[in-house]
Amino acid sequence: MNSTLAMARTLLKIFSRDRQAIFFTLFFPITFMAIFGFINTGDEDPIEIGIVDNAENELSAAFIDNLSANQLFSITVDSEDALREGVTEGDIALTLILPEGFDSSSAQSDLTMLVDAAQARQTQMLRPVVEQALLDIERNLRNSEPLFSLTVSDVQARSQRYIDFLVPGLLALTIMQISVAGSGYNIVEYRRKGILKRLFVTPIRPGQFIGGLVLARLAITVSQVAFLLGVAVLLLEVPVVGNLVELLLLILLGSSIFLSLGFWMGSIAKTQQSIMLLGNLITLPQMFLSGVFFSVESMPAGLQAIAKLLPLTWLVSGVREVIVNGVSLFAQIPTLIALAVWLAIALTLAIRMFRWKEVAA
Amino acid sequence: MAIVRSDELVKRYPKPGSKSETFLAVDEVSLEIEAGEIFGILGPNGAGKTTTLEMIEGLTDIDSGEAFIDGISVRGRPEMVKKIIGVQLQANEYFDHLTLHDLLSLFSRLFGRQDDPATLLARVNLEEKADAKPAALSGGQKQRFSIASALVNDPKVLFLDEPTTGLDPQAKRNIWRLIEELNEAGVTIVLTTHNMEEAEHLCGRLAIMDHGRIIEQGSPQDLIMKHAPEPPEARLHGNLEDVFLKLTGHALRE
Repeated sequence: MNSTLAMARTLLKIFSRDRQAIFFTLFFPITFMAIFGFINTGDEDPIEIGIVDNAENELSAAFIDNLSANQLFSITVDSEDALREGVTEGDIALTLILPEGFDSSSAQSDLTMLVDAAQARQTQMLRPVVEQALLDIERNLRNSEPLFSLTVSDVQARSQRYIDFLVPGLLALTIMQISVAGSGYNIVEYRRKGILKRLFVTPIRPGQFIGGLVLARLAITVSQVAFLLGVAVLLLEVPVVGNLVELLLLILLGSSIFLSLGFWMGSIAKTQQSIMLLGNLITLPQMFLSGVFFSVESMPAGLQAIAKLLPLTWLVSGVREVIVNGVSLFAQIPTLIALAVWLAIALTLAIRMFRWKEVAA
Repeated sequence: MAIVRSDELVKRYPKPGSKSETFLAVDEVSLEIEAGEIFGILGPNGAGKTTTLEMIEGLTDIDSGEAFIDGISVRGRPEMVKKIIGVQLQANEYFDHLTLHDLLSLFSRLFGRQDDPATLLARVNLEEKADAKPAALSGGQKQRFSIASALVNDPKVLFLDEPTTGLDPQAKRNIWRLIEELNEAGVTIVLTTHNMEEAEHLCGRLAIMDHGRIIEQGSPQDLIMKHAPEPPEARLHGNLEDVFLKLTGHALRE
């Protein structure tokens, strides 16, 4: 036990002095958070909406007033050509065209909404608001009380911020990368430099060395993830709805899976180059298929099936459910089962393949 | 009783480029080294010196044969053996970002001890380098640090694998002095070398290895009398190393 703790303490000391390692484990997730968090602050600036008023009557003016009253929007009234160009260039989120017959007399008026199809998500968000404005005006005109009073609360819009979706994915990704690097890459480096052999000149047993390395890596992973989550919560106002203890459990579980996979990789690969290749082979597909940057459900069915086999997919979805939706870890039965199965696979691989004498030699 | 004994140690390795064939890296090596000796294993590169040492130290599996240190079987109780021996390896790299002090304190803890690294560093004349990193040391300093790290457990037997390879004459002689001091303090020394002068200068007894086998054993004097009894032409002058040391002095460079 003393050797295990001495080893863990030493490895933590090494990591804390390794500015480069600290920088690179945080650089990637922080960059992504900055790009999608700080730059894309569209929810705070009012959304630019163009209106082409072909009717120019009392009703159209009332409609424009109604929309202008909403602080979410900044309204520009202009010609269709000018506004169409605005939408194309992305200056204006959407443009509404009020037809000439936009009045109370005609049975029905058709409004046209000019949108940029690439901005589908924003369009989906705006559409109900526009419809609501139309409904309000209609009720005023008909002087009718609404049959149902439904307050459209903005639940969707809140959880739909991309950064809120992205942060849990980035945390899971970071867990994978710190863990694989910590076991796999380090083992190969220590072996190549003869450090493992130097350690085994002392009475430390392989299990104690592994134990120390695992302890140190778990501590590093938890602290790095906590730091990233802190940045996300304090600077990007990413809401954390779920239980932090369950999040901690998930971090430890995910880290254990990827540490074991790393040990397995480190015992196959003999050189720094081959561990890099093997590491990329195992982590890169997961990075793109596991729902870190976009949801697994948005991928083609075939890819979805593959994604469901990957450990990171389940870690991402577990972390995301806990953080964003506040779903208890213990209510996520399929996730728990999948992660448990992966832990068993990874441990088996690591223990089977790990030939200590060869590793040290 | 011999403090280090090996009986017909054998190590087979796969032949390079062949899956089924093996070659004998170490072929029935038997040694008896008495407490207090400086014993040298001499031989060209690839003779099997390092593999022999590593089997005796418990770092490499013994394919057949037995080894004992102070009567303890290396195969049976490797962790007991590790507690009473000090091992200096050829490789001289350590964890990045750790100072000499950090490393010695780690090695010390792995032996269940809490010795002050400063005392050990003073023993090898490196007390001023306590906060330096191994990468910043000169060749001779690295070698001395490596010996210090093999001394953390106050070993009865110290194994040194090519302790002076690659060092300049000043550093080499400095290491020789250190080895002699340790031996005078009671440590049995087993070293490998392919430097004849070193073997003759340091070792009370030698084993000469080639192709995995011990081909001759004895004291340097006996070996010389047996195999090269004719006196060489009278030495009228020193050799180039004498010139080098005269011109550059004996003071250690680092």
